Amino acid sequence: MSPDQLTALLNTELGESLAGKVPGEQVTQLERLSGGANNETWRLMWGSTSLILRRRPFSADSIDQLEGNILGLSLVDEAAVIQLATSTSVPVPEIHAVFDATHPIGEAFLMGFIAGESIPQKWLVDDTYEVARSRLAFQCGEALGRIHSIDCSELPPNIGPTTLEKRFTAAQKRLHAFGDISPVMQFGLNWLIDHAPSEASCVLLHGDFRTGNLLVDEQGLAGVLDWELTHQGPAAEDLGYLCANVWRFGQLHKPVGGFGEYDDLIAGYGSTAGWAPDLATIRYWEIFAALSWGLVCQTMGALWHSGNGDVERAAVARRRSEAELDILLLIEEWERA
Amino acid sequence: MSQDEAQTTASDVTTSELLGAVKGFLMDSALPALSGRDQFNARVAANVLGIIDREQQLGPELAALDAAAAQQWLPGDPGPGTAPQQLSRALAAREIHADSHFFEYLKQRQLLVAAINNPRYASRKVAEEKWRDDS
Repeated sequence: MSPDQLTALLNTELGESLAGKVPGEQVTQLERLSGGANNETWRLMWGSTSLILRRRPFSADSIDQLEGNILGLSLVDEAAVIQLATSTSVPVPEIHAVFDATHPIGEAFLMGFIAGESIPQKWLVDDTYEVARSRLAFQCGEALGRIHSIDCSELPPNIGPTTLEKRFTAAQKRLHAFGDISPVMQFGLNWLIDHAPSEASCVLLHGDFRTGNLLVDEQGLAGVLDWELTHQGPAAEDLGYLCANVWRFGQLHKPVGGFGEYDDLIAGYGSTAGWAPDLATIRYWEIFAALSWGLVCQTMGALWHSGNGDVERAAVARRRSEAELDILLLIEEWERA
Repeated sequence: MSQDEAQTTASDVTTSELLGAVKGFLMDSALPALSGRDQFNARVAANVLGIIDREQQLGPELAALDAAAAQQWLPGDPGPGTAPQQLSRALAAREIHADSHFFEYLKQRQLLVAAINNPRYASRKVAEEKWRDDS
């Protein structure tokens, strides 16, 4: 959809949705932000207020029909979870409007703009964020502890509890559906099955809590974005995911997201949750996160083959090799420990 | 070398050079003329040409490594598909004992795959330092 078409549709809709909440009369300065191989992100002005539109550019049907889909929640459910998270002190954007897949705009939601830096290559290295980086691992632990305390009974019905066994079965199904093209991915899944930790109770997980989905200002954590992979699972999963190599953006010596240390993350988590997973379990989930990233890359390739997406999505399919490399490095490290 | 040979000017253009020429067009001409998503995708497209170039160079070595592995670990009928597919399916069926020799094959394979797809990925440098000497 062109920016002009989207502007026209939004102008028709938002007058009513935003009446009494956000002053303004029409959309101006609509621009697509770079990045996001899955959902589109647009920034726009409504009056003098900056807003963000998240929009899924393909039909819900094409996702449902995709074997092995792991694209996560509908944007309608994602918006519902963000609204739940506003009941905690985790910094999340305010949801202003939600459109389901039958709407001419397409499946989308409109949310407030939170000031902060999202580009990891900036805040991970720039001196401006030195203090922020020193606090961030603890703050991320705190935020995860709070997210995990959200009452799962209030979640949309699509976000149910699961077990490791079901996750393994789903991952195996996806590897088969995607053509069994990677012996390393299969080796990784076998290893994860053979080394599974004892089953832990399910909590609400953000599911994609990582460098790249965090907004950072000079004080530290300013916003938690991108809730589309929210699901239920063991708490350690979110912590391990944040530490996965692929989300350290080259800063491999800082295990928490490329900016922090395990001890600070665990201490922050303990301060709000009252307990914390052990480091070995967190590291297990780092390997699981590597496999998951590989599966996301394969999903992108499958989506591209189904006619959805541009050259970026095709190229992301090749980033599976990052996941494969990390699976082998992490398993080797684990076995030698 | 005769004087005639010394004065020869290259007239053929290899596949790798062609890819380099297209990449140059994308980065030097197309990209500055584009904006927004198209400009971003032009950069992605230039990177994709790099993948193709590296696969041309390293692909045969990777294929030979996979074929040798299939021969070593799949002594019977390996079934349909490519060598990586045959190995993956045998692993899924737990028909391969994934010992240290097999792990070594996976590591050497992955060094090549990473060199093709994303040589700048940070973990690759770590893997290169750890695994190059193992081969």
